[in-house]
Amino acid sequence: MQIFVLFVLTLMATVKPDPAPGLFRTKTASAELDCEQLTVARANQERPGQIGEARPRGDYVDRRVVVCSERLISHGVRPVRDEAILSTLDARADEVASAAAALGPDLQSRTWLVETYYPSVQVASKVSFAAKNSLMEHGLTVSDRTPILGFGDLDVITRMPAEQAYPAACKRYYATGSLGEQDALLAVVSRDPRETILHAGLCSRGQWKWLR
Amino acid sequence: MGEVWARCIRAAAILCTALIAVVGGTGCVHVYQPMSGLHGPVVVDIQAPNFEDLNLTVHCVPGDQLNRLETSTLCRKVGSLFENQGAKVHTIDTSAPVKDVFKDVFAEETEVDPDEPPPPLTDLTLELRTREVRETDDPISWFAYISTGTLLPAITEYTHTIDVVVRDGSGFLLARDTIEGRIVRRMGLGVWAGNKLLDVAWRDDADKVTGEDVANAELSADLYGQLSQLTFNAKMQWTVLQESTPATAEEVP
Repeated sequence: MQIFVLFVLTLMATVKPDPAPGLFRTKTASAELDCEQLTVARANQERPGQIGEARPRGDYVDRRVVVCSERLISHGVRPVRDEAILSTLDARADEVASAAAALGPDLQSRTWLVETYYPSVQVASKVSFAAKNSLMEHGLTVSDRTPILGFGDLDVITRMPAEQAYPAACKRYYATGSLGEQDALLAVVSRDPRETILHAGLCSRGQWKWLR
Repeated sequence: MGEVWARCIRAAAILCTALIAVVGGTGCVHVYQPMSGLHGPVVVDIQAPNFEDLNLTVHCVPGDQLNRLETSTLCRKVGSLFENQGAKVHTIDTSAPVKDVFKDVFAEETEVDPDEPPPPLTDLTLELRTREVRETDDPISWFAYISTGTLLPAITEYTHTIDVVVRDGSGFLLARDTIEGRIVRRMGLGVWAGNKLLDVAWRDDADKVTGEDVANAELSADLYGQLSQLTFNAKMQWTVLQESTPATAEEVP
Protein backbone atom coordinates (compact mmCIF):
# COMPACT_ATOMS: atom_id res chain seq x y z
CA MET A 1 0.00 0.00 0.00
CA GLN A 2 2.81 2.39 0.99
CA ILE A 3 4.66 1.59 -2.20
CA PHE A 4 1.51 2.31 -4.24
CA VAL A 5 0.99 5.70 -2.53
CA LEU A 6 4.65 6.56 -3.14
CA PHE A 7 4.27 5.47 -6.77
CA VAL A 8 1.15 7.64 -7.24
CA LEU A 9 2.84 10.63 -5.62
CA THR A 10 5.89 10.20 -7.85
CA LEU A 11 3.68 10.09 -10.95
CA MET A 12 1.76 13.13 -9.75
CA ALA A 13 5.03 15.03 -9.59
CA THR A 14 5.56 14.39 -13.31
CA VAL A 15 2.24 16.04 -14.21
CA LYS A 16 2.86 19.48 -15.70
CA PRO A 17 0.62 22.37 -14.60
CA ASP A 18 -2.01 23.07 -17.22
CA PRO A 19 -3.60 26.50 -17.77
CA ALA A 20 -6.91 24.87 -18.72
CA PRO A 21 -9.60 24.70 -16.02
CA GLY A 22 -9.37 21.62 -13.80
CA LEU A 23 -9.12 20.40 -10.23
CA PHE A 24 -6.79 23.14 -9.13
CA ARG A 25 -7.84 26.00 -11.44
CA THR A 26 -11.34 27.38 -11.91
CA LYS A 27 -12.70 28.60 -15.22
CA THR A 28 -12.70 32.16 -13.89
CA ALA A 29 -9.00 31.91 -13.02
CA SER A 30 -8.25 30.32 -16.39
CA ALA A 31 -10.05 33.15 -18.22
CA GLU A 32 -7.63 35.64 -16.67
CA LEU A 33 -4.80 34.10 -18.70
CA ASP A 34 -3.89 35.02 -22.26
CA CYS A 35 -2.47 31.83 -23.73
CA GLU A 36 -1.09 30.75 -27.05
CA GLN A 37 0.22 27.42 -28.23
CA LEU A 38 3.71 27.40 -29.70
CA THR A 39 6.15 24.92 -31.11
CA VAL A 40 9.22 24.20 -28.98
CA ALA A 41 11.46 26.08 -31.42
CA ARG A 42 9.32 29.23 -31.37
CA ALA A 43 8.85 29.08 -27.61
CA ASN A 44 12.64 28.95 -27.22
CA GLN A 45 12.98 32.02 -29.44
CA GLU A 46 10.43 33.96 -27.45
CA ARG A 47 11.38 32.77 -23.97
CA PRO A 48 15.00 31.61 -24.13
CA GLY A 49 16.15 29.39 -21.32
CA GLN A 50 12.68 28.63 -19.99
CA ILE A 51 11.86 25.64 -22.21
CA GLY A 52 14.19 22.72 -22.84
CA GLU A 53 15.72 22.74 -26.31
CA ALA A 54 14.62 20.05 -28.75
CA ARG A 55 17.18 17.25 -29.03
CA PRO A 56 19.34 17.28 -32.18
CA ARG A 57 17.71 14.08 -33.43
CA GLY A 58 14.24 15.13 -32.33
CA ASP A 59 12.22 14.51 -29.19
CA TYR A 60 10.73 11.12 -28.41
CA VAL A 61 7.33 12.66 -27.95
CA ASP A 62 5.56 15.52 -29.75
CA ARG A 63 6.16 18.48 -27.50
CA ARG A 64 4.23 21.71 -27.68
CA VAL A 65 4.26 24.64 -25.34
CA VAL A 66 1.29 26.64 -24.07
CA VAL A 67 2.62 30.04 -23.09
CA CYS A 68 0.37 32.13 -20.86
CA SER A 69 0.55 35.56 -19.36
CA GLU A 70 -1.80 36.96 -16.76
CA ARG A 71 -4.06 39.78 -17.90
CA LEU A 72 -3.05 43.18 -16.57
CA ILE A 73 -6.66 44.20 -15.99
CA SER A 74 -9.15 41.51 -15.04
CA HIS A 75 -12.40 40.88 -16.89
CA GLY A 76 -15.22 43.11 -15.73
CA VAL A 77 -13.08 45.96 -14.38
CA ARG A 78 -13.66 48.16 -17.45
CA PRO A 79 -16.79 48.34 -19.61
CA VAL A 80 -16.58 45.75 -22.40
CA ARG A 81 -16.45 48.29 -25.21
CA ASP A 82 -13.69 50.31 -23.51
CA GLU A 83 -11.81 47.09 -22.83
CA ALA A 84 -12.01 46.14 -26.51
CA ILE A 85 -10.59 49.50 -27.58
CA LEU A 86 -7.95 49.94 -24.89
CA SER A 87 -6.61 46.38 -24.83
CA THR A 88 -5.43 46.77 -28.43
CA LEU A 89 -4.87 50.52 -28.46
CA ASP A 90 -1.30 50.44 -29.81
CA ALA A 91 -2.28 48.38 -32.84
CA ARG A 92 -5.39 50.49 -33.51
CA ALA A 93 -3.51 53.78 -33.22
CA ASP A 94 -0.86 52.47 -35.57
CA GLU A 95 -3.48 51.40 -38.13
CA VAL A 96 -5.07 54.85 -38.04
CA ALA A 97 -1.72 56.66 -38.28
CA SER A 98 -0.54 54.38 -41.11
CA ALA A 99 -3.69 55.19 -43.08
CA ALA A 100 -3.03 58.91 -42.59
CA ALA A 101 0.68 58.68 -43.38
CA ALA A 102 0.01 56.82 -46.63
CA LEU A 103 -2.08 59.64 -48.11
CA GLY A 104 0.61 61.25 -50.21
CA PRO A 105 3.38 63.84 -50.14
CA ASP A 106 1.03 66.84 -50.08
CA LEU A 107 -0.27 65.92 -46.64
CA GLN A 108 3.13 64.97 -45.22
CA SER A 109 4.09 68.60 -44.70
CA ARG A 110 0.86 69.61 -42.93
CA THR A 111 0.37 70.07 -39.23
CA TRP A 112 -1.82 67.23 -37.97
CA LEU A 113 -4.50 67.69 -35.37
CA VAL A 114 -6.26 64.72 -33.80
CA GLU A 115 -9.83 64.63 -32.55
CA THR A 116 -11.47 61.48 -31.11
CA TYR A 117 -15.22 60.97 -31.07
CA TYR A 118 -15.93 58.40 -28.38
CA PRO A 119 -18.54 58.52 -25.59
CA SER A 120 -16.08 58.18 -22.71
CA VAL A 121 -13.86 61.25 -22.29
CA GLN A 122 -11.13 59.26 -20.53
CA VAL A 123 -10.96 56.69 -23.32
CA ALA A 124 -11.13 59.42 -26.00
CA SER A 125 -8.15 61.24 -24.51
CA LYS A 126 -6.14 58.01 -24.39
CA VAL A 127 -7.00 57.24 -28.02
CA SER A 128 -6.02 60.78 -29.09
CA PHE A 129 -2.73 60.55 -27.24
CA ALA A 130 -1.91 57.18 -28.81
CA ALA A 131 -2.87 58.41 -32.29
CA LYS A 132 -0.66 61.51 -31.95
CA ASN A 133 2.27 59.37 -30.84
CA SER A 134 1.78 57.06 -33.81
CA LEU A 135 1.58 60.00 -36.22
CA MET A 136 4.86 61.32 -34.84
CA GLU A 137 6.42 57.88 -35.21
CA HIS A 138 5.45 58.10 -38.89
CA GLY A 139 7.39 61.37 -39.15
CA LEU A 140 4.40 63.73 -39.26
CA THR A 141 4.16 67.09 -37.48
CA VAL A 142 1.51 66.95 -34.78
CA SER A 143 -0.17 69.74 -32.85
CA ASP A 144 -1.98 69.52 -29.51
CA ARG A 145 -4.44 72.20 -30.65
CA THR A 146 -8.11 71.20 -30.81
CA PRO A 147 -10.33 72.64 -33.55
CA ILE A 148 -13.38 74.44 -32.19
CA LEU A 149 -16.90 74.96 -33.54
CA GLY A 150 -19.38 77.60 -32.45
CA PHE A 151 -22.47 76.70 -30.42
CA GLY A 152 -24.79 77.25 -33.40
CA ASP A 153 -22.76 74.91 -35.60
CA LEU A 154 -22.65 72.24 -32.92
CA ASP A 155 -26.39 72.52 -32.39
CA VAL A 156 -27.06 71.83 -36.08
CA ILE A 157 -24.35 69.22 -36.64
CA THR A 158 -25.18 67.07 -33.63
CA ARG A 159 -28.71 66.65 -35.00
CA MET A 160 -27.50 65.39 -38.40
CA PRO A 161 -27.07 61.71 -39.27
CA ALA A 162 -23.46 60.55 -38.95
CA GLU A 163 -22.83 60.31 -42.70
CA GLN A 164 -23.64 64.02 -43.05
CA ALA A 165 -22.40 65.32 -39.71
CA TYR A 166 -18.68 64.66 -40.20
CA PRO A 167 -18.42 66.27 -43.67
CA ALA A 168 -20.49 69.23 -42.43
CA ALA A 169 -18.30 69.71 -39.36
CA CYS A 170 -15.23 69.57 -41.59
CA LYS A 171 -16.59 72.33 -43.83
CA ARG A 172 -17.39 74.51 -40.83
CA TYR A 173 -13.95 73.95 -39.29
CA TYR A 174 -12.39 75.26 -42.50
CA ALA A 175 -14.91 78.08 -43.05
CA THR A 176 -14.48 79.45 -39.53
CA GLY A 177 -10.69 79.30 -39.76
CA SER A 178 -10.42 76.78 -36.97
CA LEU A 179 -8.57 74.57 -39.45
CA GLY A 180 -6.17 76.43 -41.73
CA GLU A 181 -4.68 75.73 -45.14
CA GLN A 182 -1.70 73.96 -43.63
CA ASP A 183 -3.69 71.92 -41.12
CA ALA A 184 -5.03 68.40 -41.48
CA LEU A 185 -7.44 66.91 -38.99
CA LEU A 186 -7.38 63.20 -38.28
CA ALA A 187 -10.70 62.23 -36.71
CA VAL A 188 -10.81 58.92 -34.87
CA VAL A 189 -14.42 57.82 -34.62
CA SER A 190 -16.49 55.12 -33.02
CA ARG A 191 -19.72 55.17 -35.03
CA ASP A 192 -21.84 52.58 -33.25
CA PRO A 193 -21.95 51.45 -29.62
CA ARG A 194 -21.88 47.84 -30.79
CA GLU A 195 -18.61 48.01 -32.73
CA THR A 196 -15.16 47.38 -31.28
CA ILE A 197 -13.15 49.07 -34.03
CA LEU A 198 -12.21 52.69 -34.60
CA HIS A 199 -12.76 54.46 -37.91
CA ALA A 200 -10.56 57.24 -39.18
CA GLY A 201 -11.52 60.27 -41.26
CA LEU A 202 -9.47 63.08 -42.75
CA CYS A 203 -10.54 66.71 -42.88
CA SER A 204 -8.35 68.80 -45.15
CA ARG A 205 -9.26 72.23 -46.55
CA GLY A 206 -12.94 71.65 -45.94
CA GLN A 207 -13.02 68.25 -47.64
CA TRP A 208 -13.97 65.17 -45.63
CA LYS A 209 -12.82 61.66 -46.45
CA TRP A 210 -13.19 58.39 -44.58
CA LEU A 211 -9.87 56.56 -44.47
CA ARG A 212 -11.04 53.35 -42.81
CA MET B 1 -21.18 -16.87 10.52
CA GLY B 2 -18.85 -13.95 11.19
CA GLU B 3 -16.42 -15.22 8.55
CA VAL B 4 -19.21 -15.39 5.96
CA TRP B 5 -20.18 -11.77 6.74
CA ALA B 6 -16.57 -10.68 6.41
CA ARG B 7 -16.30 -12.40 3.03
CA CYS B 8 -19.55 -10.80 1.88
CA ILE B 9 -18.39 -7.33 2.93
CA ARG B 10 -15.01 -7.85 1.22
CA ALA B 11 -16.73 -9.02 -1.97
CA ALA B 12 -19.11 -6.06 -1.88
CA ALA B 13 -16.19 -3.67 -1.35
CA ILE B 14 -14.29 -5.15 -4.30
CA LEU B 15 -17.42 -4.98 -6.45
CA CYS B 16 -18.03 -1.33 -5.49
CA THR B 17 -14.40 -0.41 -6.17
CA ALA B 18 -14.53 -2.18 -9.53
CA LEU B 19 -17.80 -0.43 -10.37
CA ILE B 20 -16.44 2.99 -9.41
CA ALA B 21 -13.26 2.26 -11.37
CA VAL B 22 -15.29 1.33 -14.46
CA VAL B 23 -17.59 4.35 -14.16
CA GLY B 24 -14.77 6.70 -13.24
CA GLY B 25 -12.36 5.14 -15.71
CA THR B 26 -14.71 5.81 -18.55
CA GLY B 27 -15.78 9.11 -16.98
CA CYS B 28 -14.30 11.95 -18.96
CA VAL B 29 -14.05 15.56 -18.04
CA HIS B 30 -13.85 17.81 -21.08
CA VAL B 31 -12.67 21.33 -20.39
CA TYR B 32 -12.52 24.16 -22.88
CA GLN B 33 -9.87 26.83 -22.84
CA PRO B 34 -10.23 29.81 -25.14
CA MET B 35 -6.97 30.72 -26.87
CA SER B 36 -6.24 33.55 -29.28
CA GLY B 37 -9.28 35.36 -30.63
CA LEU B 38 -11.89 33.46 -28.67
CA HIS B 39 -11.82 35.42 -25.43
CA GLY B 40 -11.87 38.91 -26.92
CA PRO B 41 -14.50 41.37 -25.69
CA VAL B 42 -17.88 41.02 -27.39
CA VAL B 43 -20.24 44.01 -27.33
CA VAL B 44 -22.94 42.89 -29.77
CA ASP B 45 -25.94 41.10 -28.37
CA ILE B 46 -26.26 38.03 -30.59
CA GLN B 47 -30.01 37.94 -30.01
CA ALA B 48 -30.57 41.51 -31.23
CA PRO B 49 -31.29 42.48 -34.88
CA ASN B 50 -27.75 43.63 -35.71
CA PHE B 51 -27.82 42.77 -39.42
CA GLU B 52 -31.26 43.80 -40.61
CA ASP B 53 -31.63 43.72 -44.43
CA LEU B 54 -28.01 42.67 -44.91
CA ASN B 55 -27.35 40.07 -47.61
CA LEU B 56 -24.77 37.80 -46.07
CA THR B 57 -23.11 34.80 -47.65
CA VAL B 58 -21.61 32.28 -45.27
CA HIS B 59 -18.95 30.31 -47.11
CA CYS B 60 -17.62 27.28 -45.22
CA VAL B 61 -14.66 25.75 -47.00
CA PRO B 62 -14.30 21.98 -46.55
CA GLY B 63 -10.81 20.77 -45.74
CA ASP B 64 -8.85 18.10 -43.92
CA GLN B 65 -10.51 18.99 -40.65
CA LEU B 66 -14.17 18.92 -41.67
CA ASN B 67 -15.80 16.72 -44.27
CA ARG B 68 -18.63 17.91 -46.48
CA LEU B 69 -21.35 16.94 -43.98
CA GLU B 70 -19.64 18.62 -41.02
CA THR B 71 -18.96 21.69 -43.14
CA SER B 72 -22.61 21.81 -44.09
CA THR B 73 -23.62 21.56 -40.42
CA LEU B 74 -21.23 24.35 -39.44
CA CYS B 75 -22.56 26.53 -42.25
CA ARG B 76 -26.15 25.87 -41.26
CA LYS B 77 -25.52 26.75 -37.61
CA VAL B 78 -23.59 29.92 -38.43
CA GLY B 79 -26.25 30.82 -41.00
CA SER B 80 -28.96 30.47 -38.34
CA LEU B 81 -26.92 32.67 -36.02
CA PHE B 82 -27.00 35.53 -38.52
CA GLU B 83 -30.58 34.89 -39.63
CA ASN B 84 -31.61 35.31 -36.00
CA GLN B 85 -29.90 38.70 -36.12
CA GLY B 86 -31.91 39.81 -39.14
CA ALA B 87 -29.55 39.00 -42.03
CA LYS B 88 -30.65 37.38 -45.30
CA VAL B 89 -28.27 34.46 -45.32
CA HIS B 90 -27.06 32.30 -48.18
CA THR B 91 -24.76 29.42 -47.26
CA ILE B 92 -22.13 27.78 -49.44
CA ASP B 93 -20.25 24.67 -48.35
CA THR B 94 -17.99 23.98 -51.31
CA SER B 95 -14.41 24.97 -51.91
CA ALA B 96 -15.34 26.82 -55.11
CA PRO B 97 -14.93 30.61 -55.05
CA VAL B 98 -18.10 32.47 -54.03
CA LYS B 99 -18.40 34.28 -57.37
CA ASP B 100 -18.39 31.00 -59.30
CA VAL B 101 -21.12 29.56 -57.10
CA PHE B 102 -23.27 32.67 -57.47
CA LYS B 103 -22.70 32.59 -61.20
CA ASP B 104 -24.30 29.14 -61.29
CA VAL B 105 -27.11 30.06 -58.91
CA PHE B 106 -28.10 33.30 -60.59
CA ALA B 107 -27.08 32.53 -64.17
CA GLU B 108 -30.66 32.44 -65.42
CA GLU B 109 -31.93 35.32 -63.30
CA THR B 110 -29.27 37.92 -64.05
CA GLU B 111 -28.93 39.66 -67.40
CA VAL B 112 -25.32 40.62 -67.87
CA ASP B 113 -24.52 43.88 -69.63
CA PRO B 114 -21.01 43.57 -71.09
CA ASP B 115 -20.35 47.33 -70.72
CA GLU B 116 -21.33 47.53 -67.06
CA PRO B 117 -19.45 45.84 -64.21
CA PRO B 118 -21.77 43.24 -62.66
CA PRO B 119 -23.45 44.34 -59.44
CA PRO B 120 -22.34 42.59 -56.26
CA LEU B 121 -24.55 39.58 -55.56
CA THR B 122 -24.09 39.80 -51.81
CA ASP B 123 -23.33 42.58 -49.35
CA LEU B 124 -20.84 40.66 -47.25
CA THR B 125 -19.20 37.26 -47.44
CA LEU B 126 -18.11 35.47 -44.30
CA GLU B 127 -15.55 32.78 -45.10
CA LEU B 128 -14.69 30.07 -42.58
CA ARG B 129 -11.81 27.63 -42.86
CA THR B 130 -11.17 25.19 -40.04
CA ARG B 131 -7.83 23.62 -39.21
CA GLU B 132 -6.75 21.21 -36.54
CA VAL B 133 -3.57 22.54 -35.00
CA ARG B 134 -2.95 19.65 -32.71
CA GLU B 135 -4.44 16.43 -31.37
CA THR B 136 -2.25 14.60 -28.89
CA ASP B 137 -2.38 11.88 -26.32
CA ASP B 138 0.10 12.34 -23.51
CA PRO B 139 1.81 8.90 -23.26
CA ILE B 140 3.08 9.54 -19.73
CA SER B 141 -0.42 10.32 -18.53
CA TRP B 142 -1.73 7.13 -20.14
CA PHE B 143 0.92 5.12 -18.33
CA ALA B 144 -0.07 6.82 -15.05
CA TYR B 145 -3.76 6.22 -15.81
CA ILE B 146 -3.31 2.49 -16.31
CA SER B 147 -0.76 1.85 -13.57
CA THR B 148 -2.72 3.68 -10.87
CA GLY B 149 -6.03 2.02 -11.75
CA THR B 150 -7.38 5.28 -13.26
CA LEU B 151 -6.60 7.37 -10.18
CA LEU B 152 -4.46 9.70 -12.29
CA PRO B 153 -6.00 11.00 -15.52
CA ALA B 154 -5.17 10.11 -19.09
CA ILE B 155 -4.96 13.40 -20.98
CA THR B 156 -5.86 14.02 -24.59
CA GLU B 157 -6.04 17.50 -26.05
CA TYR B 158 -7.34 19.00 -29.25
CA THR B 159 -6.57 22.46 -30.55
CA HIS B 160 -8.71 23.76 -33.41
CA THR B 161 -8.35 26.92 -35.40
CA ILE B 162 -10.87 28.73 -37.57
CA ASP B 163 -9.65 31.31 -40.06
CA VAL B 164 -12.38 33.91 -40.50
CA VAL B 165 -12.37 36.38 -43.38
CA VAL B 166 -15.08 38.95 -44.13
CA ARG B 167 -15.20 40.58 -47.56
CA ASP B 168 -17.66 42.88 -49.26
CA GLY B 169 -19.57 41.91 -52.40
CA SER B 170 -16.70 42.92 -54.66
CA GLY B 171 -14.19 40.83 -52.72
CA PHE B 172 -12.59 43.73 -50.80
CA LEU B 173 -11.15 42.51 -47.51
CA LEU B 174 -12.94 44.10 -44.54
CA ALA B 175 -11.87 42.01 -41.56
CA ARG B 176 -9.97 38.86 -40.74
CA ASP B 177 -9.13 36.95 -37.61
CA THR B 178 -7.89 33.58 -36.50
CA ILE B 179 -9.83 31.96 -33.70
CA GLU B 180 -8.21 29.20 -31.68
CA GLY B 181 -9.72 27.00 -28.98
CA ARG B 182 -8.33 24.12 -26.96
CA ILE B 183 -10.30 21.21 -25.55
CA VAL B 184 -8.60 19.07 -22.93
CA ARG B 185 -10.07 15.65 -22.18
CA ARG B 186 -9.09 14.15 -18.84
CA MET B 187 -10.19 10.58 -18.28
CA GLY B 188 -10.11 8.62 -15.03
CA LEU B 189 -11.67 7.95 -11.68
CA GLY B 190 -9.65 10.49 -9.71
CA VAL B 191 -10.26 13.44 -11.99
CA TRP B 192 -13.91 12.61 -12.61
CA ALA B 193 -14.79 12.01 -8.96
CA GLY B 194 -12.75 15.01 -7.79
CA ASN B 195 -14.39 17.39 -10.27
CA LYS B 196 -17.85 15.97 -9.63
CA LEU B 197 -17.39 16.47 -5.90
CA LEU B 198 -16.18 20.04 -6.38
CA ASP B 199 -19.05 20.80 -8.78
CA VAL B 200 -21.64 19.52 -6.31
CA ALA B 201 -20.14 20.94 -3.12
CA TRP B 202 -18.05 23.96 -3.96
CA ARG B 203 -18.06 25.53 -7.44
CA ASP B 204 -20.39 28.21 -8.75
CA ASP B 205 -22.57 27.32 -11.73
CA ALA B 206 -20.27 29.25 -14.06
CA ASP B 207 -17.24 27.26 -12.90
CA LYS B 208 -18.72 23.76 -13.18
CA VAL B 209 -16.87 21.48 -15.57
CA THR B 210 -18.77 18.18 -15.42
CA GLY B 211 -22.11 17.73 -17.13
CA GLU B 212 -23.33 17.02 -20.58
CA ASP B 213 -21.48 18.92 -23.31
CA VAL B 214 -20.42 21.81 -21.10
CA ALA B 215 -17.17 22.36 -23.00
CA ASN B 216 -18.82 22.29 -26.43
CA ALA B 217 -21.56 24.67 -25.31
CA GLU B 218 -18.97 27.15 -24.02
CA LEU B 219 -16.91 26.86 -27.18
CA SER B 220 -20.01 27.47 -29.34
CA ALA B 221 -21.06 30.48 -27.25
CA ASP B 222 -17.61 32.07 -27.58
CA LEU B 223 -17.40 31.25 -31.29
CA TYR B 224 -20.83 32.72 -32.07
CA GLY B 225 -20.02 35.85 -30.08
CA GLN B 226 -16.71 36.40 -31.86
CA LEU B 227 -18.18 35.72 -35.32
CA SER B 228 -21.01 38.17 -34.66
CA GLN B 229 -18.64 40.87 -33.40
CA LEU B 230 -16.19 40.45 -36.27
CA THR B 231 -18.96 40.53 -38.85
CA PHE B 232 -20.59 43.56 -37.23
CA ASN B 233 -17.26 45.41 -37.26
CA ALA B 234 -16.87 44.47 -40.92
CA LYS B 235 -20.38 45.72 -41.66
CA MET B 236 -19.57 49.08 -40.06
CA GLN B 237 -16.32 49.27 -42.03
CA TRP B 238 -18.26 48.50 -45.21
CA THR B 239 -20.84 51.20 -44.39
CA VAL B 240 -18.15 53.81 -43.77
CA LEU B 241 -16.25 52.95 -46.95
CA GLN B 242 -19.47 53.17 -48.96
CA GLU B 243 -19.92 56.72 -47.68
CA SER B 244 -16.52 57.58 -49.16
CA THR B 245 -17.49 56.56 -52.69
CA PRO B 246 -17.83 59.55 -55.08
CA ALA B 247 -21.54 58.95 -55.70
CA THR B 248 -22.51 59.44 -52.07
CA ALA B 249 -19.89 62.14 -51.48
CA GLU B 250 -21.70 64.41 -53.96
CA GLU B 251 -24.94 64.12 -52.05
CA VAL B 252 -23.39 65.56 -48.89
CA PRO B 253 -24.49 69.21 -48.45
